[in-house]
Amino acid sequence: MYQWLDERLDITRFNNKVLRKAFPVHHTFFLGEITLFAFVVLVLTGIFLTFNYEPSTRLIKVAGYTDPVQAAYASILYIDSLPFGAVIRSVHHWSAHIMIAAAFLHLLRILLSGAYKKPRELNWIIGMLMLVTSIVVAFTGYALPYDNYAVTATRIGHGIAQSVPWVGVAVAQIMFGGDFPGSDHSIPRLFSLHVLWLPLALMGLIGAHLLIMVKQKHTQPKYAEKVAPGKILGVPLFPQQAVMSGVLFLVYVAVVTLIAGGFLAHPVEAYGPLSANTPAVKPDWYFLWIYGLLKIIPSHWEFTIPLFNGGKFGPEFWGGVLIPSILLVGGLLIPFFSVTKDGQKQRYLELPSQKPVRTSLTIAGLMFLIMGTLAGYIGDSGMEWLTIPVAWTLLIVAPIVTYFVCYIIMRAIWGKTWPQEPQIEFIGGAKGSAADD
Amino acid sequence: MHKNDTVVPFGALLFAVALFLMAFLDNQNRVSETVAIPGAAHSLSVGIIGLMAFGMVMFIYGFIGLVGNYLEGTELRPSKHIAGPSSLPVVAGVVLSLLLVGLAGFFARTLVYAAKEGFNPSSLQGGVFAAMMLIIAILLVIYKKFFMEEEVLAEEEKGEFPW
Repeated sequence: MYQWLDERLDITRFNNKVLRKAFPVHHTFFLGEITLFAFVVLVLTGIFLTFNYEPSTRLIKVAGYTDPVQAAYASILYIDSLPFGAVIRSVHHWSAHIMIAAAFLHLLRILLSGAYKKPRELNWIIGMLMLVTSIVVAFTGYALPYDNYAVTATRIGHGIAQSVPWVGVAVAQIMFGGDFPGSDHSIPRLFSLHVLWLPLALMGLIGAHLLIMVKQKHTQPKYAEKVAPGKILGVPLFPQQAVMSGVLFLVYVAVVTLIAGGFLAHPVEAYGPLSANTPAVKPDWYFLWIYGLLKIIPSHWEFTIPLFNGGKFGPEFWGGVLIPSILLVGGLLIPFFSVTKDGQKQRYLELPSQKPVRTSLTIAGLMFLIMGTLAGYIGDSGMEWLTIPVAWTLLIVAPIVTYFVCYIIMRAIWGKTWPQEPQIEFIGGAKGSAADD
Repeated sequence: MHKNDTVVPFGALLFAVALFLMAFLDNQNRVSETVAIPGAAHSLSVGIIGLMAFGMVMFIYGFIGLVGNYLEGTELRPSKHIAGPSSLPVVAGVVLSLLLVGLAGFFARTLVYAAKEGFNPSSLQGGVFAAMMLIIAILLVIYKKFFMEEEVLAEEEKGEFPW
């Protein structure tokens, strides 16, 4: 059989050229694979959901409800009633959260190990865009169950989209198909974006990301420099790495199914269908820091530029658009500010302890996000101590203090080793001989 | 970062436990909310979902990191390794395969029960399905550790693939 196929398709050449690619071994590489497998599970469970979901707000009668409910909400009840349906929907929901968390941690690892440097600047940019696209895909799916909580939470995003000066209303119209909630086109529009256009964009980005990674190769653990200098040390993609990835995929499915079965992430019946009662809501955790910024920015921070029908710059624009955009652009530009010595290629993972400024800045950035998230809890019961002035103080002071504390701790522990490169004993060949081009 | 060590994955497992503990304590302190439809499950807060999502990523990462170290070691050296004959992994494989068949039958029963009664025992279904996936993962680990020919390559940095 193999020979028959080989004579026609030249499988041996395919095996030698593609399947025997060396795949370096390091545990941190699994973070990217977890992100990829979360996406695969999202697609697989999403296919099941689309078979049974009705993207419509038409009112229909459902047993157990006195008033008619929207068809979208009713179809979620139907999915939950199918054998294993509730678990599959819950796996879909949890995987969305996991994908964003894993992508974030993956980017953090790339940042802390210097793997974004030449020649991987493009893949860093694509990775950042993938994280943003993943968040937008998750956002467009949030309103689809059309329960009271999801609709109220999505209104916050609608308000942020509308807040962009001059173009905001048009952006909101395109994204939501009219007013939200209210327009009959909103759910079909969000559904189309969620299951077709944005996943297609994400697939394109993932494809480009993987293709570039294969071309440029992984950054390797430092020990590889002494074992095989200038070469890529690793296991063949097939079968060894494929089996390892298979184990990871199965472990991923096992953990997520266990949690998804025990904790239904978004039980729509707990919130009920859309009603006049507005529940106290918060956006998903990855938007909570933006929500926190919106809470602490004074409502009078607004002005209008009287050009082209007037462009209004309000608090929603500052907190929901401007600050996240500045952070995003700053993140995209990191590889162009932090470069390798003499323009060499970055071949090996750097220790975070060897780059104290970068590591301290990264942890300070994390502290900014955590403090922004904390600000999202202003006004909650048990959080009376958290006032707007306290939140402002924490948001500004905590990251600065974190930076200096991190830097001082790193200096105390590893300061003496900073001027030195790690001691590498070369076994054979010249350092980087084959690849310093 | 220098090697495929076990320190960071083990730390990730500890961090995962801490995150789940935080989520549990957060849930304990929550003011219980009334659900819109009587009998419906209580929802999780966005903070708890975030903690659990990061907890799951950390757990999966830590677990697969330790498995990766067990299967592939701390450092690679260009070599070939042919697995030797061994009886115990075969016995373990047979026992696990039988267990998998039993669990698959039980899982099918939960589906039939849900179809007949109109009630999904979600925790049980999720738990049984998770156990099945974990057993297949363990079977793969046994196969890779005891039956697979291992090879470590040292490949030229420049290649013709994909272009």
